Amino acid sequence: MSDDVVTPEDVRHVAGLARVDLEDDEVERFTEQFADILAYFETLDAVPEVDSEAELTNVMRPDEVRASLETAEALQNAPDHEDDYFKGPNVS
Amino acid sequence: MTAQTVQQGDLVTVIGLEVHVQLETNTKIFCGCSTAPADGPNEHVCPVCLGLPGALPVLNEAAVEAAVKIGKAIDATIPEETRFHRKNYYYPDLPKNFQITQYDEPICQDGELEISLEGERHTIAIERAHLEEDPGSLQHVGGSIDTAEYTLVDYNRAGTPLMEIVTAPDFRSPKEVRAFLAELEEVLEYLAVFDASRDGSLRVDANLSIIDGERVSDDGSIELADLEAANRTEVKNISSHKGAEKALAYEETRQKNAVRRGREVEQETRHWDESRGITVSMRSKEAEKDYRYFAEADLPPLRVAHWKDEIAIPELPKARRERFASEYGLGEEAASKLTSTKQVADFYEDVASEFDPDLAATWVADELLGELNYRDMQITDIEGRLEEIATLVELVATDEITAKNAKEVVLRGMLDERDDPETIVDREGLGKTDDDAVQAAVLEAIEENPDAVADYEAGEGGAINFLVGQVMQKTGGSADPGDVNGLLRAELE
Repeated sequence: MSDDVVTPEDVRHVAGLARVDLEDDEVERFTEQFADILAYFETLDAVPEVDSEAELTNVMRPDEVRASLETAEALQNAPDHEDDYFKGPNVS
Repeated sequence: MTAQTVQQGDLVTVIGLEVHVQLETNTKIFCGCSTAPADGPNEHVCPVCLGLPGALPVLNEAAVEAAVKIGKAIDATIPEETRFHRKNYYYPDLPKNFQITQYDEPICQDGELEISLEGERHTIAIERAHLEEDPGSLQHVGGSIDTAEYTLVDYNRAGTPLMEIVTAPDFRSPKEVRAFLAELEEVLEYLAVFDASRDGSLRVDANLSIIDGERVSDDGSIELADLEAANRTEVKNISSHKGAEKALAYEETRQKNAVRRGREVEQETRHWDESRGITVSMRSKEAEKDYRYFAEADLPPLRVAHWKDEIAIPELPKARRERFASEYGLGEEAASKLTSTKQVADFYEDVASEFDPDLAATWVADELLGELNYRDMQITDIEGRLEEIATLVELVATDEITAKNAKEVVLRGMLDERDDPETIVDREGLGKTDDDAVQAAVLEAIEENPDAVADYEAGEGGAINFLVGQVMQKTGGSADPGDVNGLLRAELE
């Protein structure tokens, strides 16, 4: 990864996937920042490899219904809602 | 595969499917929220299926059991180890911005399902089947998907367990696709992991391409390179067997017309517009690498290969059809009707064990299913009354009433007025007329119709039918026409 140079096209592509509009100067700024952030991952090369917990398999729960949130509770942090639905901008 | 002779210059249709089926569990796949239909939006939601920070998924054991049953039914391999991945994409139907699904280690691999179409059998290879969560549902308010003013989101459905079943490109016609979906649904309902009557329980994406007939070998197979070279379209938004056949027939014609006019088929995703009966181009979505799949670290791997031996599945429709044919001597059509659902097959076997299997087949496959179908009903709609239907068959089997009355008066009365068979027989006076009364009616008919008797004696065959009709009228239809015929001939000798 660290060998690859981050290009402005990469930034535009990733922004497109995230449905984010970027101005040209932002693309320039993010291109540098992406490269910096990816460089941090090299730090991980110094971490010794550990095996995952082998015993930890087949963690499952029985098919029993548990109480859900009240609708009002579920909606309380949403920026907007209407008739018990979450409300957001048009998406296609 | 279809082993039909391909003519030079022929265009061959190649179709592969991704079928999403909803698994019948009480709770969602990664949380304890109910999967039952809710009264209003956002009632069956919790921090896990809303994707709130810090919430952790825990896998529903029943969903894994259902997946193993499906794997067994389609003769798939359940690998020693299987795991979940995150599929990343930004769309508000997924509150986490990723879907938990399976990627390179699906729970079922390399299965198959046999279908029968117009007397020919085809084996459709199933490349894989994997578990995943359903997204929520969006409503585009104030316009179509492109012109809406805003979006409303309901997460009741988010997290419902789905199985995605991916076939090889083994279909050569939309008809085969329809037959496959019907067979698949039958199998899933036998396994009791699926309910076809549930809204949105079946969703199909189909890949279709057109191949030059010269590239198809005599046994119907096509080289992978030729398949990959052909541009294909992915048709989305198909939700029924009939819809699949119609959507793919439309797409087949559209692509063949393009090829015949020398135009290239564009590789794209198309949306099936059911109300207009056409497919329309969709803005192209992400390529596979854009989903940035990575292992779901919150869910440890599964090791359930041995469940295949531990979990039993019932006899499946195909095996049952074959057994019905050999054990009860039924024809292909009757055997197929009688195994269409597990409930019908179980009921038939109940009745056939007590009475003549042929009589039972006629009554269950033709009379009962016919009358139910006419009323747009299923056998499950009369589940509590099957005992009464068995009683009706007994009345016919023991010659208490005629078959004609049993069907036209009693069965229809049972379905339309919800009365039990004995009540209807008593009320309508359908008990078969005793022999003396029939004999009296025979003598009366002879007495009253000297012309017909003269015709009969002159050798006119039709005259006897007229006399039988007269006797039937006098006995209110409760005599057996064959018996009456015999009695008349005996008197006239």
